[in-house]
Amino acid sequence: MVTVTLTVNGESRTATVGGETTLLRMLRDNLNLTGSKLGCDVGDCGACTVIVDGKPVNSCLMLAAQVEGREVETIEGLASMDRVHPIQKAFEECASLQCGFCGPGVIMSAKALLDEIPNPTIPQIRDALGGNLCRCTGYVKMIEAILLASRNMRGEAVEVNR
Amino acid sequence: MDKKPKVAEKVSPAESVLKDPGILRESVASPLVTYPIEVVVPKARQQTPAVGQRATRLDGRLHGLGQTSYIDDMTFPGMLYAKIKRAGVASARIKSIDTKEAEAMPGVMAVLTGKDVPNNSFGPSLKDQPVLAYERVFHAGDPVVAVAALTEQAALEACEKIKIEYELFTPVLDPLESLKLETPGVHAPSANIYQKKFIKKGDIEKGFAMSDHIVEGQFRTQMVEHVPLEPHATIAMWDANGRVTIYSTLGRITLGRADIASTLGIPISRIRLVATIVGGNFGGKNEITTEPVLALLSKKTGRPVKSVFTRPDEFMASTTRHPLIMDYKTGVTKDGRIQARKIRLVLDGGAYCSWSETTLSKACILSAGPYNIENIYAEAYVVYTNKTMTGAMRGFGAPQVCFAYESHMDDIAKLLNMDPLEIRLMNVFHEGSISPTGQKLQSVVVKESLLRAAEKFGWNGKGSSAGGGKLLPKEIIDATTVRV
Repeated sequence: MVTVTLTVNGESRTATVGGETTLLRMLRDNLNLTGSKLGCDVGDCGACTVIVDGKPVNSCLMLAAQVEGREVETIEGLASMDRVHPIQKAFEECASLQCGFCGPGVIMSAKALLDEIPNPTIPQIRDALGGNLCRCTGYVKMIEAILLASRNMRGEAVEVNR
Repeated sequence: MDKKPKVAEKVSPAESVLKDPGILRESVASPLVTYPIEVVVPKARQQTPAVGQRATRLDGRLHGLGQTSYIDDMTFPGMLYAKIKRAGVASARIKSIDTKEAEAMPGVMAVLTGKDVPNNSFGPSLKDQPVLAYERVFHAGDPVVAVAALTEQAALEACEKIKIEYELFTPVLDPLESLKLETPGVHAPSANIYQKKFIKKGDIEKGFAMSDHIVEGQFRTQMVEHVPLEPHATIAMWDANGRVTIYSTLGRITLGRADIASTLGIPISRIRLVATIVGGNFGGKNEITTEPVLALLSKKTGRPVKSVFTRPDEFMASTTRHPLIMDYKTGVTKDGRIQARKIRLVLDGGAYCSWSETTLSKACILSAGPYNIENIYAEAYVVYTNKTMTGAMRGFGAPQVCFAYESHMDDIAKLLNMDPLEIRLMNVFHEGSISPTGQKLQSVVVKESLLRAAEKFGWNGKGSSAGGGKLLPKEIIDATTVRV
C-alpha cells in the first residue's frame, strides 16, 4: 500500500491505495471525484483526461503514486459555486455534448489547450482533441464551443450564431 | 359544508375543487367535442416556429460539469464487484468447471455457473442465449463463470484461478459455408439458417428478357462494434420484500424486465429495473447481459453487486452489426431504366439470434433501393456462425444494403457511360411510387433532394465515381450479362 498526498483542484488530498492503483481509480474510488470516466483503461479513448502540473494526461496510464506532491485539475474543479467555467458554458450553449460520457475528458483537453494557447486555430484545436474519442457528436460542435470559449476568455463579446 | 371543523383551517386543493363543482364540470368534457374526432394531419415540411432554432439540451450543463451520474459512478454500502470469466474459444463442449480454488480465495464472496441459473436461456426473439454457458460454448465471448468479490482485483484474480476443461470443435466462421445445408449446425440439431425472408414483385425473368444489359455484383460489409464510450454496466441489489432493484445501461427495460423475470423464475412485479443516463447505446445496449447473473450473485451474498464490461468485453461479448454478403443482379435498358433486380442477402448471424430477425427483415425490404422497379426478387437468409453475436445497430440492416445498391448503381452508370446522378434521377422513387412490398409512398422528395445537393456542391456530371471512361467488366458471362 502507498499513501499519496497531492493537490486536487486547489485542495490538499490524501489517499492510501494499492501500489498498482492508477490515478484514475484513485480519483474515482478514493477521492470521490467521479467526473473523470473509465472508457478503456488503456489510454486510447481519453475519457479519463485530467491535467497534471499543467499538462493533459490519460489518468488511466498514470500510477497514483506518480502524482505525489503534484497538482491535478479535474472537471470538478472548473466551475465555482457562482459560475460555470466559460468552456462549460460554451459547450452548453453550442449543445456540444450528447451522451456526455466523453465530455469531461474533452473539456479538460480543451482547458489545457486554452491555458497554453489562448487563441487557437482550428487545426490546433483538432490536434488538442486528438486523444479524445467521441461516438455521439462528430466533434464539430465541440470545436465551435472551444472557439467561442476562447473568445469569451479573451474578453471579446460574442453572440452564438443561429 | 357550512360546519367546517375549527381545527383544520388549511384547505387542500382537492377539497377546494370539490367545494366548487363548477370547476370539475368544465374540465371534464367540452361541449364542442364531436365524434369521430377530426384529427389534424400536419402538412409535410410545414415550417413551425421551433424548426431552425438552436436548442440547448436539458442535460448539457450537468454533462459539462462532470456531475452526471452514470452507473459506474454509483456506489452502495457493502457493494461487491463482479467479473465474468469468458470462454475464449469459438466452439466447444464444456467438460468440467473447477471453481474450488477461486471460492477459497480471501475476498471472494460468491461464484456462479450455469447450473445456478433457474432458466438458463433468453433472447429478444429466439431464446437461444444462455445467461452462463453451461454445456456448450458458441463463441469466444460466452460468459461461463461469474465471481463476486470485495474488490475488482480480487474478482479478476479469482477468475484466473478457475479451471475450465473444453472439448474443442471446429468453429463455423464463414457465413457462406454456414449457408450450405451439409455444414454441421452451430446449434445442432437446429439448422444454421435460422430465418429467411423472400420478396417477390412482378416477374424477374420477364424483366431480364426485356433488358439490354444485365449487371451482377457482390458486395460485402464487415462486422462493426458500437464502441459506446461507456461500457455496459449493471448494479443489482435485493430489498427486504424480496424485490430486486437493478440499475443498468440497458435501453429496452420492458423487454429486459421480462427476460430477467423468466431467467430468474420470479414474477415481473418483483423486478425494479432502473435505466439511467447512458453513455452511448446505438443499439448495442438493447438486451440484457449480466443482469440475471448479478441478481443471483446479490441474492447469494446479500450485498449489492456491480459489474462493468471491460473494453475487450465490449468487442468480444456485446452485440455487433451484422456483416452482409449481398449479391445483386440488375437488368437495364440501354438508356438506363431498371427492368428487373434480383438480390440475395446472407447475414452473418453470429452465435445467437439477438435482433437478427428484425435486421433480416429490414435489410430485405430495403434491399432493392429507392428505385421504381417492376420486377424484383429478393431472398435473404441469416445464419449462425461461431462469432461475436450480431444484433441491433443503428440502421438494422439498412446501411449495409444501401452501400450495396448505391455502389451497384454507380457500377451500372459506369458501364452505360452515364452520369451516376442522371441514372438515379431516371429511376428513383417519386410521389406515389409503390415500394417493393406494395406500400404507396408519400412525401417523397428524393429527386428534389438529389438536385438540390448536386447544385450545392457543384456536381458537373463527372464526379469521383464516374471517373471518366467506361468501367471494364471483370467477367463477361454472355452477350448481355457481365459481372463487375
